[in-house]
Amino acid sequence: MRLLINSSCRQLLGLLNCCEGKGVSSAKWSVLNPHLLLLRQNFSAKVTAAELVRYWRGVFEANKIPEAQESSEYIVSYVLGAKTFHSLSAGSLFTPLTAEQQQQVRQLSAKRLQRMPVQYVLGEWDFGELTLKMRPPVFIPRPETEDLVSLVLQEESQRSVSPLLNVGHRCSTAVPHSVILEIGCGSGAIALSLLSKLPESQVIAVDKKEAAVNLTRENAERLQLQDRIRILHYDVSSGSWDKLLPWGPVDTIVSNPPYVFHGDMSHLAEEILSYEDLDALDGGNDGMRVIKKILALAPCVLKDNGSVFLEVDPRHTEMVENWLRSHPDLSLSVTATHKDFFGKLRFLHIQKHKAGDSSCKNGFACPNMHLP
Amino acid sequence: MKPFQGIRLFQHLLADCLHCCRPHRSPSLVKRVGHMTALSSLRYKYLLSTVKPALSFNDWPRRYHQDFRALWGHETVRKYLETLKEEFQQVNQLLISGSMNEYDRSILSRRHTHLSTLVATLQEIKEAKREVQELEAMCADLDSKDEQQLLELALEEKEIINQKINTFWKKIFHSIVPWDKHDESNVILEVTTGRTTGGDICQQFTREVFEMYQNYAAYKRWTFEILNYTPNGYGGLHHATAYILGDCVYRYLKYEGGIHRVQRIPEFGLSSRMQRIHSGTMSVIVLPLPGETDFKVHPKDLQIDTFKAKGAGGQHVNSTDSAVRITHIPSGLAVECQQKRSQKLNKEIALQTLRTKLYQQVMEKDLSQMENARKLQLGTRDQSERIRTYNFCQDRVTDHRISYDVRNIKEFLCGQGELDKLINMLLEFADMEALIQHLENINSLEKER
Repeated sequence: MRLLINSSCRQLLGLLNCCEGKGVSSAKWSVLNPHLLLLRQNFSAKVTAAELVRYWRGVFEANKIPEAQESSEYIVSYVLGAKTFHSLSAGSLFTPLTAEQQQQVRQLSAKRLQRMPVQYVLGEWDFGELTLKMRPPVFIPRPETEDLVSLVLQEESQRSVSPLLNVGHRCSTAVPHSVILEIGCGSGAIALSLLSKLPESQVIAVDKKEAAVNLTRENAERLQLQDRIRILHYDVSSGSWDKLLPWGPVDTIVSNPPYVFHGDMSHLAEEILSYEDLDALDGGNDGMRVIKKILALAPCVLKDNGSVFLEVDPRHTEMVENWLRSHPDLSLSVTATHKDFFGKLRFLHIQKHKAGDSSCKNGFACPNMHLP
Repeated sequence: MKPFQGIRLFQHLLADCLHCCRPHRSPSLVKRVGHMTALSSLRYKYLLSTVKPALSFNDWPRRYHQDFRALWGHETVRKYLETLKEEFQQVNQLLISGSMNEYDRSILSRRHTHLSTLVATLQEIKEAKREVQELEAMCADLDSKDEQQLLELALEEKEIINQKINTFWKKIFHSIVPWDKHDESNVILEVTTGRTTGGDICQQFTREVFEMYQNYAAYKRWTFEILNYTPNGYGGLHHATAYILGDCVYRYLKYEGGIHRVQRIPEFGLSSRMQRIHSGTMSVIVLPLPGETDFKVHPKDLQIDTFKAKGAGGQHVNSTDSAVRITHIPSGLAVECQQKRSQKLNKEIALQTLRTKLYQQVMEKDLSQMENARKLQLGTRDQSERIRTYNFCQDRVTDHRISYDVRNIKEFLCGQGELDKLINMLLEFADMEALIQHLENINSLEKER
């Protein structure tokens, strides 16, 4: 059981790690196999979930796989049909795993040993209350983004309570059917969370990658939300936007655009660099390449007083404000910034002024509030 | 003791009241028709009906052996129903006259709906009674042999009407029983293993009881979410907590809290010398989950810890560690949750648990709160305060509060029909007790005036 953690094994595995490239190297398998055999012998046919988690944590640690404990727990729980180790029932904790289940744990753990993110290993992950299919190289939603969804929902609920916001239009009766545009939908996490919480709304979700468009579509169908979503293969830098208006101007744009500064890309973990689509992360030299494209497009597709919600790097909040001030023709300004779970400035709420509102053209009268 | 005996007695007494209500007109409320007095007393009554009267199980054995007739006989019930009928007329008139503000109107119309169903049911009972009398009169005339068949039919119909009356009474009983303000709440259920004289029977029993409630939740179509589970070798359970969410969960589970005792021969882990009957205990605590509005926690008092985000966070990091730990700084109370893959959901659950625990602390501090659910249920962990004994050797479950025996332990521990039957019986007795106290309270208030 503890064999792997003894120093000679660690050395051996450490050596392997050094010469290991991406993909399955045959050398690695030939050396790992004896240990897998040991596992089988040691546990004979009776090995419980708790023991298996401990074993694989040891293997992961010896191979310097990050979050060894969590990875091991998630894989074993998944094979037993549970989402987390803590939600396993007592019965399944003490029942020995079948040979097939042990085999499945082995197969999944082998993927993890190659630094594949757990979300891709399992082929699914949770975002808020939804369980979504995950498939490389489509970007894996991060926990911070769950708060971006909450911000949009908050805004939507305020809008539906106070139709007075739309004094300009005299049609407060038609308010509830809001239309939301998501740019860079990836697995569909944001769009589908919004749809599941806003039964009256419709979403247009676009991504420039075919793989993302397909995954969003699969997830929408799995969650039976496909009737209120329009999923388009579209690149925000293409310049045209007619495609985005099947239902007319939109109420809200939401996006988690690539915002990592190009200089930071090389510091990312191997899980990200080797498996995720780096186009979904790399925001160019100032991290604003796609953010600027979105902001340039926004006034063309948004209704008056419409909102843009963006997830950004903490440094971006000020940069975006300055950039918008130097582009008054866009009629956009930051109305609020919000912190994430860890207290970092992470979200921007930007609003479009009414067309022809000259006071905003010069960019001085725009309210710039920093909300904690 | 049959479960509906109380109801039948109740029916009997109320029936008396219907026949002789006219001369007993109570002068207290109706005579003072001035709008203000009437409104304020109604408002008071509304408040009273939302406050649960203190109900102590310690009194149960005594009450239980008393003659019910004596309990019902002191006219409170009769008088109360009479005042309710009068109140209905009064509320009706007030609503028609319509001179009041919105707040009073909303209270009055709620009261009106409540009373109108009650009065309607009383009316239906009256009519059903008359039918029975007519049938009896008819039966008295039928004596020849040819009419034998007709007589049988008449008796059958009489039986059906009597059953109908029974259900009407039950309805009335339930509508005037005061509700616990937490009755509709979701609950947090805690099981903890207790003392034993031998072996691991406590841990094993704790697991069985926890599973019983899990099955009961499924039986009642409630959601059962395990929050933490601390197993203890040999498949036993040391401690576990679960949320149970659904329709009126607290109402059904509130009398499950307390010390449960087990008597059995340990199955394994002991020398043959120890192979005799041992007894042990485990405790169950059932607490209502406070709603969002019941109890506020200030965000600035909370320290929320998650995995250590390295550097920039956001897109820079891909972590699967979704565990959340929340510490309430002023009290030092901390809770952890790693039930979900979603960090946000873990945070929500942890916050809810923390709120429940803080709420509990506040409740415990509040000495003016006559009844303290936790104290009542947990007692002093003294075996003498056990609520129920599970005797495996005799295959019998005994509830000490109502001296009720169930014969089949296995079936009982399945957490389905047998448990449900006992819980409903406990509820009925508790409701009866609550009603009497409620009426006594009203009575003493009337006297004070």
